[in-house]
Amino acid sequence: MQRSANRMKTISGLVFLLSLLLLAACATSIRSQHKISEIRINDDFIIVTATAKDTLSSLAAEYLNDPSKGWLIAEFNHIKNLTPGQELCIPLFPFNKGGLKSGGFQTVPVLAYYSFSKNKPSKIAITQDDFKAQMKYLKENGYHVITLDQLLGFLDYQEQIPEKSVAITFDDGWISVYDIAFPILKEYGFPATIFIYTDFIGGGKAMSWKQIKELSEAGFDIQCQTKTHRNLTVLKKKESFKEYFKSLEMEISYPKKLIKKKLNKECKFLAYPYGIANNLVIAMLKKHGYRAAFTVDNKSNPFFIDKYKINRSAIYGKYDIEKFKNKLSVFQNMELK
Amino acid sequence: MKRFFNIYLLLIVLFFFTGCAGVREFLGDIADKIAEINSEKAPEGTKVLPASYYLEKALEYEKNDELQTALFYMQIAGTLNPDSTKIPEKIASLKSTIDHKARKHFTTGVECYEKRKFKDAQRQFLTTLRYAPGHKEALDYLKNRLHPKEYLNYKVKEKDTLKDISKKFYKDPSKDFLIAYFNNLKTGEEPVSGTILELPMLESEFTRPTIDIRIELIKAENFLKEKRYREVLDIAGKILEYDRLNKKASDLKNVSCYQIGMELSRQEKYPEAIEMFKKVTPEYQGVEEAIQQAINKELFKAKNLLKQKQYEQVFAVTKKILDYDKSNKAAQDLINTAFCQQAKHLTIRKNYTEALNVLNRADPQYDCVKKTISDVYKAKKKQAEVHYLNGVKHFLNEELQSAIKEWEKALALNPEHKKAKKNINNARSLLEKLEKVK
Repeated sequence: MQRSANRMKTISGLVFLLSLLLLAACATSIRSQHKISEIRINDDFIIVTATAKDTLSSLAAEYLNDPSKGWLIAEFNHIKNLTPGQELCIPLFPFNKGGLKSGGFQTVPVLAYYSFSKNKPSKIAITQDDFKAQMKYLKENGYHVITLDQLLGFLDYQEQIPEKSVAITFDDGWISVYDIAFPILKEYGFPATIFIYTDFIGGGKAMSWKQIKELSEAGFDIQCQTKTHRNLTVLKKKESFKEYFKSLEMEISYPKKLIKKKLNKECKFLAYPYGIANNLVIAMLKKHGYRAAFTVDNKSNPFFIDKYKINRSAIYGKYDIEKFKNKLSVFQNMELK
Repeated sequence: MKRFFNIYLLLIVLFFFTGCAGVREFLGDIADKIAEINSEKAPEGTKVLPASYYLEKALEYEKNDELQTALFYMQIAGTLNPDSTKIPEKIASLKSTIDHKARKHFTTGVECYEKRKFKDAQRQFLTTLRYAPGHKEALDYLKNRLHPKEYLNYKVKEKDTLKDISKKFYKDPSKDFLIAYFNNLKTGEEPVSGTILELPMLESEFTRPTIDIRIELIKAENFLKEKRYREVLDIAGKILEYDRLNKKASDLKNVSCYQIGMELSRQEKYPEAIEMFKKVTPEYQGVEEAIQQAINKELFKAKNLLKQKQYEQVFAVTKKILDYDKSNKAAQDLINTAFCQQAKHLTIRKNYTEALNVLNRADPQYDCVKKTISDVYKAKKKQAEVHYLNGVKHFLNEELQSAIKEWEKALALNPEHKKAKKNINNARSLLEKLEKVK
């Protein structure tokens, strides 16, 4: 009796294993079903026919190992959405790194915000509702908010970015960025960079290091805007050139070390206080390993812009949505024939 | 338990008979049902589109000058139809067009860059990259050379000290620490001869001038009021040597060069005037028009010289115009017409070799050049025929030596003249026989 029960257990175990194997084999076969018409061209392209289950994002995840790159497939095929049965070319490489077309070239606007207020706008403070409306406008009009690392990839002519790309930055480190802008950006899933001047942090209207750390851990990029926010291009009264030089070195090297210590993050971008710099400052930034720096010149950026003079468009408090739209230029006309 | 096990076993056996297809069908049904619910059922039996579809797409992009995209699609068409012999040919031709266009725009870009027409250079390099995205040199111009540098390179000479270099470069020996800092030199360490140092270019407010820029500017402005443009230019040049970003000095330089150029134009010294206008920034109001006017005057002069058949002078004038403006169509037309006319004159004088030499300097794309070359060859052939017939006449008059000479002339003009070759051989053997008889 005992022996027959044992045999029964062994058989049922074997049958169970066999059925598992069969089901696994069948599952694999189902996964590769829509690849029946998949053709690979010189490791550069894959041609697939979209099924009802596919989305741009799922195809990007499957073939480009990055679900966020659905736009690359859409842009190459000049489509906005997928239709089942539609044949698509999936480029496996950045096919237009500089965004060059016969009629001109891509430009990327970088928006510079300062502080926010619940409902009272000022020159540098934007109301919660206005900021929300601006972010909504970006989302609803097909803009892709990119990180500064993605922007750098574009400026280095290494990476392709979506045609309608825009970057968002905040200067100084105001507490209102944490209280008002942060939740809105989170709601829209937009990345952003905060340039802090480290002597300001922990002060009355500024964020604390704890809040900055929280933002950093939530995926926000924390970069540097010097130590004291001094004008980097002029000597102070009675300041000798050597003192000015020492001060520059401190403004540039100290916050980098502090951010590394507080957040364990590499600081590679700098926003010039008042948006201005000179040759000496740029030479020093390069020496200290900064990869790029930002002005507040009101223009968008092509890939060939000087990386130490990247333009940003300041968004001020009393901007209506029309003025905001004017800052979003993503293409510069120029006949390239 | 046993009953449940039996049912389970039966199901497994069923799986064995129907195989994965059964499972797939079963799961596929579910998927189809979901798709039906979403009203986007995938069409069954979809296949990859034929190569001709991609080829057509490629040709459409090629027509719109989007050559890289055209190439992508052509390669796809080639992969889908590996037996086609035409597609590889088309790919090769497209690649060669891309290469040609990229090369052409890059060369123009470098020319514009050298003429300091930076905006035009930028457009040309961008066009180069649009055709050939991997063009490293065009990228280098766009990313590096077209941006002003924040430092200058200095090659250390023998016995140079940092203080010497600092004095020379910053007019202030105490800025030697700056050079040490940016070149990773320790305090007191002197640079090795031959080393290239990077010297940050400081704005004027950080350097002590050996000249008082303010006073120099006042002097220059006074000269400007008195229309003493050469003096203005000298002072502006001196200031810019010290502070190359000085806006006022640069404005003064533009005004004085423009005015000197205008004066030279009035004196009909157009080449010198153009030289002077070229020193003015292209954005300066009126300078492009002034250059164009001077060029037109030179063109007029060249046309008159052509009428007088002064070909060498026409070449010299038009060449100068083309040095300033390589794409000047009128100058190109004129120089090629002059080449053709000179070649025609030389042909009339039966100087065919010189005529062909002249035509070698012309642009072979010009119809008149093509025609003149063909006319020279025809004339050469015709003249060969004349010599040949003269030879025949001499032969019939039993003047064998003279006949050979004529046929040799015919052969020199037309080495393919078979009869002349044959007749020379015959005449020579006849001469030999006659010699023997004697």
